[in-house]
Amino acid sequence: MDGITLVMIAIIVLSNAAGDVLITRGMKKMGEVNSFHPYHLLQLGRKVLGNGDFLSGVFCLAISFFAFISVLAWAEMSFIVPATSVVYVVTVLGAKFFLKEQIDKLRWAGPFLVCMGVVLVCLP
Amino acid sequence: MKTAIVLTVAILAQSIGNVTLSKGMKLISGGSTDSADFSLIMLLQAMQSPLIWMGILLLILFFVMFMVSLTWADLSFVVPVISLSYIVNVVLAHQFLGESVSETRWAGTLLICLGVILVSRSGHSTRDKDAYAVHHETRPSQT
Repeated sequence: MDGITLVMIAIIVLSNAAGDVLITRGMKKMGEVNSFHPYHLLQLGRKVLGNGDFLSGVFCLAISFFAFISVLAWAEMSFIVPATSVVYVVTVLGAKFFLKEQIDKLRWAGPFLVCMGVVLVCLP
Repeated sequence: MKTAIVLTVAILAQSIGNVTLSKGMKLISGGSTDSADFSLIMLLQAMQSPLIWMGILLLILFFVMFMVSLTWADLSFVVPVISLSYIVNVVLAHQFLGESVSETRWAGTLLICLGVILVSRSGHSTRDKDAYAVHHETRPSQT
């Protein structure tokens, strides 16, 4: 794996994490969706487009998307998709250091397994 | 049942979408495996490729299903279920893109799924919370 691929994975992961946080915050303000009637979905769509959190989240995800399809141009999908799962490790570290959440021992096992998995995926 | 259908559609759309994007980008790059052969012009070409647009539509479908499920289900329930898409992605890459997936890579993918499930494990699942609400309706709290 070369340096450019590594930098691209970092861009995919960081912008994806930022996008997910912003969109989750935005959607929680929308209320539960119980109707799939086109009219109600349209109403939801209109509400969502006026939501700043949601829009900046979409922008972050767009950056992540273009970085992702760029890497797909040269790298194998069965490598790049699992490799981007380090996003879960970033999320847990963010929760620990920025949100000061308590993370018990069993919860640390998650990021640890993800790291081990990514190492295995990166091996030739 | 609503949750099961929505999340199954989400996983399939995400995985098939990735295969489509991968196929589209590999056509544009001529199958080169060297990152030095990549240029930004390829992203412009990508915007004219039907395969890329199909991939984008499938990812939008995934995205809508994911968001909609979050309006009633907890992130800590949805994320572990969606993590199964890592396995589906690698299976499809092997089947439809002819990528040779080593045993190490399979093992890595499985570990990642397990890890994601552990990361998002939490005290209350969506179902627990419903049971909690019902329980407390019949027995009002003392405070």
